[in-house]
Amino acid sequence: MSQPGSLRKTDVTLTINGKSYTRQVEPRRLLVDFIRHDVGLKATHIGCEHGVCGACTVRIDGRTARSCLHFAVALQGAEIETLEGLSADGRLAGLQKAFHDAHGLQCGYCTPGVLLTAEEFLSENPGPSEQEIRAALSNNLCRCTGYVNIVKAIANAARDRDKTKADPAGGSRP
Amino acid sequence: MIAPGHPRSIGKHVPRREDPYLLRGEGRFLDDIAEPKDTLFLSFAMSPHAHARILAIRTDAARALPGVVDVYTAEDMARLVKPIRTVIEIQGYRASSRTVLAQGEVRFVGEHVAVVVAEDPYIAQDAAELIEVDYEPLPAAVRLEEADSETAPLVHEDIPRNVMFEAAFASPDFQSAFQSAETIVSETFRTGRVAGVPLEPRGCLALLDHVADSLLFYTSTQIPHLARTALSEILDFPEPRIRVVTPEVGGGFGTKAQFYTEEVVTAALALNLRRPIKWVQDRREELLTSIHARDHIYRLEAAIDAQGRIKALRTDLTTNAGAYSSYPFGCTLEATGGARMIVGPYDIRNYAFRTRAIATHTCPSGAYRGVAQPSCFMAIEGLMDRIGRKLGIDPATVRQRNLIRNEQLPYTNVLGVRYDTGSYEECLRRALERIDYWNFRKQQAEARDDDEVLRGIGICCFTEVAGAGSGGWRVRGLTKVPGFDSASIKVEPTGKVTLLVSQAAAGQGHLTTFAQVLADYLGVKVEDVFVSEGDTGTAPYGTNTFASRGAVAAGGAVIKAAQSLRQKIARIAAFLLDVDVERVELTESKAIDKENPEKSVDFRQVAQIAYSMTSVALPQGESFGLEVVEMYDPPLATWPNAVHAVVVAVDRRTAKVSIEKYVVVHDSGRLINPMIVDGQIHGGIVQGIGEALMEQIVYDEDGQMLNANLLDYLMPMALDVPRIDISHIETPSIDALGGFKGVGEGGVIGAVPAVTNAVADALAKTGANINRLPLRPSYLLREMRRQQAGMDGDRQ
Amino acid sequence: MKPAPFEFRAPTSLDGVLEELREHGEAARILAGGQSLVPLMNLRMLQPSVLVSINHCKELSYIRSEEDGLACGALARQWDVEHDRVAMERCPLLVQALHHVGARSNRNRGTVCGSLAHADPLAELPAVALALDADMIAASSAGRRVVPAREFFVGALENSLRPDEMLEAVRFPYAPARSRSCFIELGNRNHGFAIAGVALQVTFGEDGRCSRARLAVMGGENIARRATDTETALAGSVIDEAIAREAGRMTASLVDVAGDFHADAAYRRELVAVLVERALMQVASGAALNARSN
Repeated sequence: MSQPGSLRKTDVTLTINGKSYTRQVEPRRLLVDFIRHDVGLKATHIGCEHGVCGACTVRIDGRTARSCLHFAVALQGAEIETLEGLSADGRLAGLQKAFHDAHGLQCGYCTPGVLLTAEEFLSENPGPSEQEIRAALSNNLCRCTGYVNIVKAIANAARDRDKTKADPAGGSRP
Repeated sequence: MIAPGHPRSIGKHVPRREDPYLLRGEGRFLDDIAEPKDTLFLSFAMSPHAHARILAIRTDAARALPGVVDVYTAEDMARLVKPIRTVIEIQGYRASSRTVLAQGEVRFVGEHVAVVVAEDPYIAQDAAELIEVDYEPLPAAVRLEEADSETAPLVHEDIPRNVMFEAAFASPDFQSAFQSAETIVSETFRTGRVAGVPLEPRGCLALLDHVADSLLFYTSTQIPHLARTALSEILDFPEPRIRVVTPEVGGGFGTKAQFYTEEVVTAALALNLRRPIKWVQDRREELLTSIHARDHIYRLEAAIDAQGRIKALRTDLTTNAGAYSSYPFGCTLEATGGARMIVGPYDIRNYAFRTRAIATHTCPSGAYRGVAQPSCFMAIEGLMDRIGRKLGIDPATVRQRNLIRNEQLPYTNVLGVRYDTGSYEECLRRALERIDYWNFRKQQAEARDDDEVLRGIGICCFTEVAGAGSGGWRVRGLTKVPGFDSASIKVEPTGKVTLLVSQAAAGQGHLTTFAQVLADYLGVKVEDVFVSEGDTGTAPYGTNTFASRGAVAAGGAVIKAAQSLRQKIARIAAFLLDVDVERVELTESKAIDKENPEKSVDFRQVAQIAYSMTSVALPQGESFGLEVVEMYDPPLATWPNAVHAVVVAVDRRTAKVSIEKYVVVHDSGRLINPMIVDGQIHGGIVQGIGEALMEQIVYDEDGQMLNANLLDYLMPMALDVPRIDISHIETPSIDALGGFKGVGEGGVIGAVPAVTNAVADALAKTGANINRLPLRPSYLLREMRRQQAGMDGDRQ
Repeated sequence: MKPAPFEFRAPTSLDGVLEELREHGEAARILAGGQSLVPLMNLRMLQPSVLVSINHCKELSYIRSEEDGLACGALARQWDVEHDRVAMERCPLLVQALHHVGARSNRNRGTVCGSLAHADPLAELPAVALALDADMIAASSAGRRVVPAREFFVGALENSLRPDEMLEAVRFPYAPARSRSCFIELGNRNHGFAIAGVALQVTFGEDGRCSRARLAVMGGENIARRATDTETALAGSVIDEAIAREAGRMTASLVDVAGDFHADAAYRRELVAVLVERALMQVASGAALNARSN
């Protein structure tokens, strides 16, 4: 190493799933390591650490992002959300059910990232075509499913959302 | 053997029990296990040379970095562990051993030369960069074609000509049959070099129990039991004091069915430093050092008659072993596999092969999904198409004429291997129908020369060696691969059932499927069964999860154990019901009197007696508890079969391939959970599409890997994948318990040849001969242009 | 794969950023979206000793319609530009090209200026900037200068910024009336890095003839290149199949193409010809403007 740079740790405060976490970390600490190892939220996975595979997808200020391509120190003040947060508040319930019913996951390693991608996509594209779903899935690599049942699960989730919207009482109107 | 009244679970789309926690992100993968506060982390210094002598290693700067605990080189490790030596008891194999850190010489780029132990993974990596190694670069044998020569640099001094394994075979009448044939069709096929690339890289965590002086070893492996035995031997540490636990595994595909040097180093350093040690692989290391696969050359010659029937077949197979024989399958797995499986579903009575594994200065090869079958079927199925072209017979017809006919089953092939049941003709018939084959051929014939798109259709008929038992591994010399698997069933005092299986899943849904099998064979409600596996501290010994063997080997063990336990349950129930034991039937967690079905006792009541927790005493002669362990050794192999048929369109000007239609007719015997089976086929097909169209690990001539990242190692994404039409034929195995045949690898085996043949068919009218992978546009266009240039030349 | 250590700075104003650059020069790197920079840092192929984040400089996040073009500040994210109304209406080529940049999550964070400054030979945005003659606005503590795109891109991963300068903004000229544009590329996969690509904008006269063509191509060797000779040849012509094919052939002979393990040079050259031809035919026919060729 020509110039060692700083190993000095500083206090970094991040808001993750609405909660504030302060940890002493080096400036080079990757967001994904902060989330996983400093805070202990393990749903965000590491697949490549160069921004290609999407396993580490989180939301930063409401949009999906690769958490392996961000430094925790640079995100002070940002709102970060992970699968744990979106899962706990029920926003993903429809998608999670659709993935379960359609066998949209096998090893489950890419799944958290895929769910976040799908959620962002469906919130912007309520009635997507198969081709649009596939294009949206270009955000994530999956090595188990061949994407077949992921595409199906997302299409089913879109249809079910549509139904719920048309019929907010979920079919059990008095 | 399943009670007639019991509602079947086998064959149903039972949603997976694994899903809810995985969908919440609560699966505990290796790096998710919270390590103790005093854990130390490893980082390996890797060789930048494919072949070099190590002159000196200086570790002072690395050691001086704050946070670094120690640095180890090969000399240090030699005091702690033995080398890894892959034992394969087969003629023609030259064993080599590998030290866990390179000693004296490096043999591939990425090979570990030193390891840093530090308090933080970031610092460990900083320190690894500070390790200075003086190398004397040596000439390298990188490409298979070059390593396979008299003058090539040697990878191992004691392995002449780099031939790590060589074997040959000829059936008794081969020579005369070959010589008497009218026509010879021959071709050379070259496959690409690929890797499994599971989304989760590898990793391990070694923890000491200081009180018991034992080692708790978490590792992302498909083979926990074999890893434990290997660890014990290499570390010289008592096996009973090692507990290997496979956590949730993020994809395996065979890549994790190997035992690796990093596992030894992690465990050894934990024992040596008396501290918890964690190592998590990054993607670059994963691509550089986890096993690679394929990289085969097949030279085939078929002697055929005028109808296109193969009278004799000769295979000359060369495989790239890489720098070392991987453990436990070694360099012989692909070489024996490709040469032995290639006869497939065809009635070939005269056969000869020579097969070899050549050492090169590249990453070791190993077992990747399908092993040599995607490549050997690419070769034989490519040959079928060429036979058709040569004789002017449609290639589907050529296949029909060569297939083993239904009435020939059970069939013993030319290598003496028995196929118990199958549906070769029916699969092909149905696949041709579903892809509308003959109409396609008609339209294809009408296509014009100036069409922008060339369309082609490809077929692959194959059998798959699956579910191999002890005999199957011994016949290939793999005597360290036991072949049996086991199941332990315990009906607990509350009547609920614990099933421990000797396997380790990486996404296959074992917790669901084995519960289904046990439910039916024990007569218990599926929701009453709890399945656990992957922990050598609790599960019985077994061969583990690879080679499409889970359902067959462990499924059989579950059935065997259920059959044994149900007798005891029935005896105690008979005593309670006061009827003969023959009248007792187990169904839905109850034992009922068949002749008086209202009379029943539930499993809880039976268990309360067995565990002596009720006023009723255990009947005389019975032992306490409701617990059984059974080992099951499957047959030599089970034989799933299938046909894949694919239509592709190739842009005439860019040579870009798009898959327009994909049909699979699959027979893997009795299906346990069709939803999971289809998922396995989907995933395999897409890996096969990747292998056929884009995936390729690239070494330059100096042995540098040029694409050790996921931007440059291209795997299919959702836009590259067609819709897939799967239909099933269920011809149960009669040799294997339960009739299951296994399904893990079928997808990839069928996809590589079918896609290749479809593209080759599309380009056939341009004269291009497509015989190498991957089928990237630049390769395809080059072949088309070569033909054009040739034809232009002819005209002049 | 963890980055090497660095000092971190996060000024809240452009002046603060420029001051850091003045002080640290070549040792410093600008962190915007990080989508090109951080992978290289994680792989330790880049080890800057000072990282200057501009993510707290709100003044740089603008997308502004100015008189002579759409200005994107250094912090304008690709996804925002892609969905900006003015951009969609008046800079269609830019928007089409953005569809091909990285994946959705990369575009959510990545900036237009960041991709331009990175100057990857197979990146889409440099081709657009070259084709359209975008103004690259370089800033340093000494002042501002406007660098024409053709002078900004020096080579593969090389731009003409001085060590104390940053790309403060880029201004893409609006598409003229009666113009159509097309960005197409083709890769080994249907998504991801291309083997070659073409950025084309054609303005038609009232007679339907091409009055002005703007064309840049990327072929992997060096940075994308403007095909001015082809542009000249196309001016005044009625674009038909023969003209398009000839333009493709001509362009292919002009550009630098790389031969690597993704595709050999001969293929790339031929692909450039086909893509130029197809882009011209799409523009001429008014067909789907952002269609991918595959």
